[in-house]
Formats: sequence, C-alpha cells, structure tokens
Amino acid sequence: MASSSHSSNFPCAACKFLRRKCMPDCVFAPYFPPEEPQKFINVHKIFGASNVSKLINEVAPHQREDAVNSLAYEAEARLKDPVYGCVGAISILQRQVLRLQRELDAIHADLIRYATATCSCNEMPPPMGRTCFHHNSSGNIYYPNPHWNEPYEGNGRSDGGSL
Amino acid sequence: MTLKGGATSACAACKYQRRKCIPECLLAPYFPADQTKVFQNAHKLFGVSNIVKILRSLDPSQHAEAMRSIKYQANVRDRFPVYGCLGVIRQLYYQIQMLEEEMHTVLTQLEMYRQHHHHQQQQQQHQHQHQISSMADDVISQLELGMAPSNNALPLFNQVTHQPYTMQNTYSSSDIDSPPKDNVENNSLWIQHLFFDTNNHGTSNNDSPIAIQSQLLVPNSEPLADTQHQVVQDYDEIHPFFDSIDDRQSYIDTKDAEDSSSSEESLKETTQLMVGNVGSKDLKSAAACFSLTSVS
Repeated sequence: MASSSHSSNFPCAACKFLRRKCMPDCVFAPYFPPEEPQKFINVHKIFGASNVSKLINEVAPHQREDAVNSLAYEAEARLKDPVYGCVGAISILQRQVLRLQRELDAIHADLIRYATATCSCNEMPPPMGRTCFHHNSSGNIYYPNPHWNEPYEGNGRSDGGSL
Repeated sequence: MTLKGGATSACAACKYQRRKCIPECLLAPYFPADQTKVFQNAHKLFGVSNIVKILRSLDPSQHAEAMRSIKYQANVRDRFPVYGCLGVIRQLYYQIQMLEEEMHTVLTQLEMYRQHHHHQQQQQQHQHQHQISSMADDVISQLELGMAPSNNALPLFNQVTHQPYTMQNTYSSSDIDSPPKDNVENNSLWIQHLFFDTNNHGTSNNDSPIAIQSQLLVPNSEPLADTQHQVVQDYDEIHPFFDSIDDRQSYIDTKDAEDSSSSEESLKETTQLMVGNVGSKDLKSAAACFSLTSVS
C-alpha cells in the first residue's frame, strides 16, 4: 500500500533496512512504508533490491503498486516453500481445475443421456452449454508460451517430483 | 563461452557472466547454452546469486524441482511484468469459481431431468395398469352375459387373485389407500383377463394364461411366490364364486335329484304302508309286485 505522505525524516522500510538515507525520490518509499518492514525484507531476500528497483521502473507508474505487491506475495511464498514457492499453489489449482472439468464433462454426459431419453415429451429445456474457457492443446490454461517451462504438466516433467 | 581446445560449451549462466564454466557449476544442468532467454528471465527476477543461494539452502535432490519452479516463475514474470504468478493464481481461482457455479447449475438441471424421467416411468406404469383393467372389464361383461369360464381358468383363478395385491405393491402410495372393494373388482378383473386370453388361445393349455401372469408379475417376482403361497388361504374367499357356478350346475343336478328323491320317497311310503298293513303273505305278494314275478 503506497503511503500517501512521505517525509525524509522517516525513511522507508527499504532505506531503513539498507541503512541509507531515504531520498525524496526514493523508488521504494511509496511502496515499502516503514510500518511494514518485513515486506521489504522478504522481497530483498528473494529478489534483491536492485532487481526490484529495475522491475518497478519498467512498469507504468499506476501499476507499480500492484507489481510490488505481487513481488511481495511471491517472495513470501518462496520463503515458506523454497522448492516450489508460489508455483506450488498454481499446480494445485490447475489440478483442481482439471478435476472440475472432468466432473463437469461427466455430468454433461449424464444430462445429455437424460435429455435424449425424455426428448419425446419435449417438455424439458435443452441442456446448458459449457462455459467457454480458453484452453490450449494440452488442456492447461493460462500458459503464456507453451515453449516455456510449464509447471508439472504435460511433457515438461523429466523428473518424478510432484506436490 | 566456449573454452579453447573445443571443450564443452559454457552454460547460459556462465556465458552471460562471461566466465569459465566449471564442471561443478550449479546452474549448468538447468541453463543449457541454448536457453539464453530463460536464463535472462531468471537472472532478471532473482539474480544469479539469489538462485545459487536458494539451491545451496536445499538438498541436492530438490535442486531440479526448485529450478523448474524458478524458471517458470521468471518466465511468467517476463510475460506479465505487473502481476506475474499472482495473476495466474487469481485467474485459476476465478476459473474454479466459474466451474463450480456451472457444476451447481448443471447438477440442478440433471436432478430435474431425473425427477422428470422417474415421473414418466411412473406414469407409464399407471397407464399399463389401466390398460389391463380395461381388458378385464371386457371379461367381466362376458361373464355377466352367462359365459361359463373354462376349467383351465380355475387353477389360474387361484393364482391370479393375488395379482391385484402384488401389483398394488408397485403402485404409488396413493393407490395403497384404495378401498377394499377395488381389490374385489380387481380380482374379478384379473380373472376375466385370464378367461379372455384363455378363450383367445382356445386351448386347454394352462401355460398361456400363466405366461401372461408371469409377464404381469415380471416387475415383482416375489409377489408371484406370495401368490402361490396364499392360494390355499384365499381359495375359500373365492370359493363362493365357484359356488355360484356350481349352483348353476348343481341346479341341474338337484333337479334330477329331486326327481329321484321323490321317487324314493314314494317308494318308502309304499313300503311303509305295505309293511304296516299286510302280513307275510301279503309281503310276498307285494314283493312279487316288485320282483315282477307272479305269485300264485
């Protein structure tokens, strides 16, 4: 949460941790208030202050707060789970999505059977259509580039690790 | 960076850092020389030192999985600089919510179809029962017209009497409350149905009505056993019907019996008179009358 009021007397969490003077144009000050020191500590431990600074500068000003918050989330997740980080949650959620899709397919099949059996009376409404989600060829969702490494799905897994 | 002498090429990490890639390089197995973009993404987000720090904090058996997640996280951040993996997680949560809502809706619709299908089945069953009842009505009318039932129907009558009871078990709860007289009517209806079929078949074979009966009892095999078990008990109940039938027959017999009885009575009277009033001689003469022999 960006601090609305910034004063040079009160260094931001970043400058306080780095033990440096918090300048008025400090890039970290709006997003790492002194009341939340752990936020910057986590981010610095995983990504490093320089990297975070570069990432903030690459993003539009109105999106920087969201970017910092997402980095803070990923850093905290990586500290809790050094092996998988936030990717573990993605894998679990993807499996849940696949399971729900399979269950929905089975229910749709049952619905079509019943609809076919009762189609003579023509009293029942037709089965509902499926909600259209964007799928790629492997059935996974929201993968920006199938050529990149994908979390524990399809052919990308050479090892036997799993959550 | 390719080493002099044609040795193996440096990994993407060492090549980027312009340093000699030693055999003990931690990142070499995970950043081959041809995946420069992947390493650049990882380096941009984490940095080489932070990646190495993470790997050294883990057991060597976990290095592969950790690097896999690091590369994925870096790639997603490169694709989505603002939200990164958090955006993916939010999108997945949203998709799960949509799927669950859709599943709830479809399940509700499926339940409607199931209830409708079940209701259809019940209606068909009721219609079938009504058809059988209407056919039995025809048989009743024939009986009322004085058409005697065939002997073949007699044993079947005993078996059939419990048809209504057994079939009633398959009725809905509303049918259970039907008055007893309906059962009596059904009794006769079932009988008429069998009589009708027996007449149609025109054979003394009992199998055809039994076959019809078995078809009727197909949905309930147990009631058939109960029917056979209770045949003896209910025989008395249906017996009056046969009494009426027998009465018709016995009416003819009794008529003859009356004739024969009257002749016997007259014979008795004659005998008594003759015994009371005449002596032995007279008895002989009387006996002669009966024996058709003249007594001189």
